[in-house]
Amino acid sequence: MTAGTKMTVRDVSVWYGAKPALSNVSLDIEREEVIALIGPSGCGKSTLLRTLNRLNDSVAGARVQGLVTLDGEDVYAPATDPVALRARVGMVFQAPNPFPKTIRENVAYGLRIHGLARGRADLDAQVERALTRAGLWAEVRDRLGDPALSLSGGQQQRLCIARALAVEPEVILMDEPCSALDPIGTARIEELIGDLRGRYAICIVTHNMQQAARVSQRTAFFDAGRLIEYGATSELFTNPRETRTRDYITGRYG
Amino acid sequence: MRRHARRRRAAEHRFRLLGRAAVAVSIGCLLFLLGSMLVAGIGGIDGHFLRGTDATEATRAGIGAALRGSLMVLGLTLALALPVGVLAALYLEELAPRSAWATLIEGSINNLAAVPSIIFGLLGLLLFLGTMGLPRSAPLVGGLTLALMTMPVIVIAGRSAIRAVPGSIREAALAVGASRVQVTFHHVLPRAWPGILTGAIIGGSRALGETAPLLLIGMRAFIPAAPTGMTEPATVLPVQIFLWSDQIDRGFAEKTSAAIVVLLVLLFAMNGVAAWLRHRGEVRR
Repeated sequence: MTAGTKMTVRDVSVWYGAKPALSNVSLDIEREEVIALIGPSGCGKSTLLRTLNRLNDSVAGARVQGLVTLDGEDVYAPATDPVALRARVGMVFQAPNPFPKTIRENVAYGLRIHGLARGRADLDAQVERALTRAGLWAEVRDRLGDPALSLSGGQQQRLCIARALAVEPEVILMDEPCSALDPIGTARIEELIGDLRGRYAICIVTHNMQQAARVSQRTAFFDAGRLIEYGATSELFTNPRETRTRDYITGRYG
Repeated sequence: MRRHARRRRAAEHRFRLLGRAAVAVSIGCLLFLLGSMLVAGIGGIDGHFLRGTDATEATRAGIGAALRGSLMVLGLTLALALPVGVLAALYLEELAPRSAWATLIEGSINNLAAVPSIIFGLLGLLLFLGTMGLPRSAPLVGGLTLALMTMPVIVIAGRSAIRAVPGSIREAALAVGASRVQVTFHHVLPRAWPGILTGAIIGGSRALGETAPLLLIGMRAFIPAAPTGMTEPATVLPVQIFLWSDQIDRGFAEKTSAAIVVLLVLLFAMNGVAAWLRHRGEVRR
């Protein structure tokens, strides 16, 4: 583990029931980088993401083997509390999924359940900070009491990012965060990922190779549950080592 | 081609007629019941009838005591069955590990909801009067017995309302570090609440109209006074109707019809509230 590594994945395999979803995957998530996971549908990239914050724990029949660490600590050790882990490893989902509550309450929720705010003024300040970081504050400052579902899809997704940021995670996992958004919403999220880089380690699953090329420093290409190629994004997209990677990024399949 | 289209239209027409006939039969029955009871009983509904108690003379008899008994029984039924039913539904859906046991318990609850009410009456007789020695004919025992009957109905309705809460909400809460219990009480329960309440009201309206199990626990005596406590002897509306219907030769015909009208109005009102809650729940999401 180098000084810049936030999370490591070593020989991780995941099964859903008897079906293998991921086989012997090893990679690192660097502290100040964005890593993109790409590959055709069903290749295991989302499974890997949900393994990092143990969200698969609640899926019946899911089984994980291998080592995942966060700051050198075993994420799957018996002493690790998955609830505390998820406060450190935030997640943004494919379709925006704000709580059916007010805009303010969406961001405040994590702060409340973790007891992170000292009184009303502090809570308000932290909500504002998270919304500002997610690039949404200017649009919602006058309507914090409105239902979150009254926002546009792109705004909802940035609200979900603000909700994740509010509890000050160290890692942010994004599962195809732009797949339900229009090009303008997508551009805003990509810009935002650029702004957040350096402050958080970011791991993004995407179907969109141009997006991976734009936002990430490292890319991992998966196919059929295996990590085929993993390296610097500039390298992987211009000079892939594996034929399958080349075929995928040139659009020959996937 | 044209003949094909004509045949299709004829089939559609026949289906429409059949559907209308089916609707007419069910609505017709209800209207006939309501109409005939209104004609026979409306004259019997006045202030004295609504406030009075049972009497040996038809002209002095009223349903005030039975109404009061019904409300006491229904209140106790819901006060017991709603929290227990909701907790059971939440536990089974959100927290219980999937296992053979869970499947077995699910099956038994479904069966329990289908058990005829008279069996619950027997259970109440054995358990509350026999073993526990509680007083006969009391709202306390009636409420306990009907709570046993209503609980599985609430569990089943509650579970389907809970299952209708989208998984993405649960994952969103888990992902910011909420525990399973926090997910359940902060997100799932508020979303499922209108559906749960609908189930509770439907279960409650069934309990309100129930007669057989209450007869078994002794609620069939002539009670000329309104109950003042949960352990006092009492009667309830459907039982009062049942008792009076046995004495129509002594001038109780109008009273019976009038009491039926009051009971139906109560039941319709409860179902109306349930429908309104369901509609509100649908609009909000």
